[in-house]
Amino acid sequence: MNRTVLKITGESGMGLASVGSIIAKALKRAGFSIQLDREYPSLIKGGHSNVQIDFSIEALHCLSKEVDIVVALDRVGLLEYLKTLKEGGVLIHGYERHHLMKDLEKQVKKRKLKLVYLSARQIAYSFGGSVLMTNMVLLGALWKVLGLGFKALEEQVKEEYADKPNLLQIDLKCLKAGFESKEPGHQTHFRIPQPKQKPRKLLINGNEALALGAIHCGVRTYYAYPMSPSSSILTDLANWSHESGMIVKQGEDEITVANMALGSMFMGTRALAATSGGGYDLMTETISLAGMTETPFVIVIAQRPGPATGLPTWTAQSDLNLALYSSHGEFARVVIAVSDPTSCFDLIQHAMNLAEEFQIPVVVLTEKVIAESETMIDPPQLKKIPIKRGLVTLPTELKKLQSSDRFKITKDGVSMRWIPGSSPAFYFSNGDEHWEDGVLTEREDQVGIMYDKRIKKLKTITKTIPEPRIFGTKKNANISFIGWGSSKGVLQDIIPLAKSKGISINYLHFDYLWPLKTKTLRQFCTDNPNIHVLEGNHTGQLAQLMEKETDLKFPQRFNKFNGRPFFLEEVLEYIKKEI
Amino acid sequence: MSCCQPNPKALKLLVEHSEDYEQFESEEVLTWCTGCGNFGIQNALKRALTLEGIGIQDMLMCFDIGCSGNGSDKIQGYTFHGLHGRVLPIASGAVIANPKLKVIASAGDGATFSEGVNHLIHAVRNDYPMLFIIHNNMNYGLTTGQASATTPNGVPMNASPDGVTADPLNPCELILSLNPSFLARTFTGDVEHMTEMFQAGLQHKGFACIEVMQICTTYNHATPQEWYWERVQYIRDNKKYDRTDIWAAKKAAADMENNINLGILFEDQKKVNFLNRLENRKQINTTPVEEVGYYDISRLTKAFE
Repeated sequence: MNRTVLKITGESGMGLASVGSIIAKALKRAGFSIQLDREYPSLIKGGHSNVQIDFSIEALHCLSKEVDIVVALDRVGLLEYLKTLKEGGVLIHGYERHHLMKDLEKQVKKRKLKLVYLSARQIAYSFGGSVLMTNMVLLGALWKVLGLGFKALEEQVKEEYADKPNLLQIDLKCLKAGFESKEPGHQTHFRIPQPKQKPRKLLINGNEALALGAIHCGVRTYYAYPMSPSSSILTDLANWSHESGMIVKQGEDEITVANMALGSMFMGTRALAATSGGGYDLMTETISLAGMTETPFVIVIAQRPGPATGLPTWTAQSDLNLALYSSHGEFARVVIAVSDPTSCFDLIQHAMNLAEEFQIPVVVLTEKVIAESETMIDPPQLKKIPIKRGLVTLPTELKKLQSSDRFKITKDGVSMRWIPGSSPAFYFSNGDEHWEDGVLTEREDQVGIMYDKRIKKLKTITKTIPEPRIFGTKKNANISFIGWGSSKGVLQDIIPLAKSKGISINYLHFDYLWPLKTKTLRQFCTDNPNIHVLEGNHTGQLAQLMEKETDLKFPQRFNKFNGRPFFLEEVLEYIKKEI
Repeated sequence: MSCCQPNPKALKLLVEHSEDYEQFESEEVLTWCTGCGNFGIQNALKRALTLEGIGIQDMLMCFDIGCSGNGSDKIQGYTFHGLHGRVLPIASGAVIANPKLKVIASAGDGATFSEGVNHLIHAVRNDYPMLFIIHNNMNYGLTTGQASATTPNGVPMNASPDGVTADPLNPCELILSLNPSFLARTFTGDVEHMTEMFQAGLQHKGFACIEVMQICTTYNHATPQEWYWERVQYIRDNKKYDRTDIWAAKKAAADMENNINLGILFEDQKKVNFLNRLENRKQINTTPVEEVGYYDISRLTKAFE
């Protein structure tokens, strides 16, 4: 596979985000496929961060660990990210006293790195620019190194800074000087294959796609308390609220948020809330209330490594057990995991449908690497997923209702639901154990039946939700993987790569984790001899779940729990060892 | 009991609308102790709803946990009986979704001033349009008489055998410090006054907060019915009282020992409630409940092309 990997590094406030955005958009518009990720390491002083962009003429679904080009906007970035460069990689920087850095010299020699140094600060000053504009000089240099056309880059810079016309002129001069510099080593180092077409795609992150999916399927109220990496859903929905008309409310805490969402859902609109693991912990009593009162409820957990504050800006798949087992008592729930922006857009709509049709809480798991990484998707298909509400709405039917229809004991566990006020048949939504009309009961001949009715819904739901999906060959793969969430992306890239080398790999992906579908899983395990579970946690939470729900064993596990996603190279390395 | 003023007009209306009143009457057996203030509160609420012409399909009643919450299935109508301390977020989420229904939230002093005191603060700030009835019986009745944040200092209670050590808070003073749009105080000994206050609260366009000083015959021996009757006075008897003056209200609310003022202590009719503050919904006349359906997102997706 042809893939080029860039890393732009610098301190916060150096315009990293805009440089990343300019590069990504210019590449996207040229027809390349892109994966863009932002890392915010909290261990480096000065709020240091980096933007990584993988691009290719082929579709990309995951990130690489090793980098072809590092563009260092400052000294710290230069030192910190030197080690991520592949042998023979290119380092573009503007640090004047680099000749004093002994380690740099050693590394360059040892690993045959190519240094591209531009006196970026002086160039920026010479046009009347500030130190911030060194980023434009280095961006111009990057384009030269990549051997890409200058015009597309220039257009993108113009678009990015259209609201600052005075500075734009200086920016453009810096950009051009960077591109045309005659410094030693400043030349085209790459031969990038050019895309043949420019398909209509969106460059979008998971949170944005999830928010759009929520708007699309009629979520009219959104409640949240800021918590990384879920916060951008709140920001986006608030910024889009004039377009959507949605009520977006930042509550005083997560308990408030969960209860407001539940109150809105109970009243008959569609409501959504999102948080991360710690915030969800505070909401769990409310999830239990949703289970007891059979009120639809949808909550998004944007996972980051715990326990406690953990690694707030890094990624994880460690809250599956939280989603599965949180909240006191026993009740039916659904757990769904998104894996990319398209699935964010689709699955949030399915989550709403399941919550409303079955009157249950639905937990949607996302991950920092899905939530904040930008990737290319086809424009989402609109009105593809029907809106299913499971509500009694016809006036003739509403008139005929009895209060006891609301929690009527039924075969499938699902009773009728209607919007408060819409029928003379009122009901009590009761957190205490209750009988069919919601009146509290502690009677021996009633409480067990009602308890069972609520849990019976699980069987009905199991019949409704789809089986896990198989990627790659169905049978007899040299090595097979099972996973959920972002595990999918890395295998989507590896399967074709391995196939071209004659290695057959397949992957079973769970979008729906609870109730767990086992038919395809059993078949997959029968048909394939070498099964491994790939998960971003320590304990193998999916592996454990599958073992609990079947008689199968999953001793072969690849677990990663250092805050980073599964990178292409390390999974390839693992495969090499295991086949 | 000379201060109790029956309102003949209201009584006449109630008789005329007895059928409306009966729609709320439940056959369920009430589980409160004999003499409990909750009987009077429920009675006054039914009266107020009747007099305001609010029927079963026009409202939602939200209940917290505790003795007050045990009335949730003992009054006919749509009700939600949620978690301890969380009645305000449930009720505010509900009213945001469908402001066409009148939302009434009820909670005790334990829920309001301990478990969920943060929600009270933010509900007042946000001015969510609803009636909030605080059942203040100065103890945790349902868990057998532990101290609450309003139990007087020094009173021996369950789990405080040597007397309560913390200082009590004054609910009305706390709420007034947050610039509410409506605050009233009433007393379970006077059903007619409660009815009048609930009616005023139901008419209010924002967050109508009503502290009901409630008798607890079983556990609150410090402030029984007679204790209140010896101390309560009606603010309407003070002809000079200006209920739009927050400083006057703060003064009127302060005394909980000798002269306890009942009535609408403060009202700010100019305050704009939460829903009317939403800039993005100024041109929208429907409610979120009526709006569920597909929304076109093509203008938003353009930014990602």
